[in-house]
Amino acid sequence: MSAHATRPKTAFSHLFFWFLFANGGGLAALVLPVHILVQGILGPLGIVPVVDQHYDTWISILGNPIVKLYILVLIALSFFHFAHRLRYLLVDFGVPAAKSLTAQAIFYGGAVVVTAATIWILLTTAPLF
Amino acid sequence: MKAPAQAARAEPRSYRWSMPANWWTRNRHYFLYVLREFTALPMALWLLWLLYDIKSAGSGAAGFQPQKSPAFVAFSVVCFLFASYHSYTFLKLAGVIMHVKVLDKTVPPRLIVLTMFGLWAVASVVIGAVLIGFAR
Repeated sequence: MSAHATRPKTAFSHLFFWFLFANGGGLAALVLPVHILVQGILGPLGIVPVVDQHYDTWISILGNPIVKLYILVLIALSFFHFAHRLRYLLVDFGVPAAKSLTAQAIFYGGAVVVTAATIWILLTTAPLF
Repeated sequence: MKAPAQAARAEPRSYRWSMPANWWTRNRHYFLYVLREFTALPMALWLLWLLYDIKSAGSGAAGFQPQKSPAFVAFSVVCFLFASYHSYTFLKLAGVIMHVKVLDKTVPPRLIVLTMFGLWAVASVVIGAVLIGFAR
């Protein structure tokens, strides 16, 4: 008997979507609270000066290519994570249609649309070239 | 040929799965599970706001209006609570998901979780310093 008679197939699609899901969740976990705390609460209340409270500082940091890349990765990965979680939350709430191909197209397609919009916004706001 | 009554009986009947709509309110663990999964929605909404904040800088100095309204702060407070709960649950799970071996020895899950929470603290300090440090 040969152990290699049937070679195990690597589940590349699993690998790919788990990569998006796990890293999206991880990245959001590590950086999102501080963004919300500083840009959403402390800045607007005037407790600390924050970069997005003035046009000149905000547009200048948005012109940095590393910042653009960071925002793109943060939003793209996070939205694949959110799409997956929310679709399965619907399944848990007793909506079997959330398992359908249509639902998958809507949720993951939504993440693709948000990613594309992010790329467009980052390229047209404080453009690099 | 089958009699009409028989034909009706032979029709495939599908099993209807049903759960009471409030299943997740009956048990604390179910409730916390749903709460954890739900955190994705407020986090997504806040990131969409961030995109809008970036986009609005594109219309020039005259069109830019920094967000200061109490409603926005209230929205952010709610999102912050959900985002922090996501961080807490997700980073705690890292000890279960990640299996790391160093010098042939399995790193204890507690150490992995501790490292993840340490990373969270470092990332928060660095990002906070950039957001505040580059302001005027």
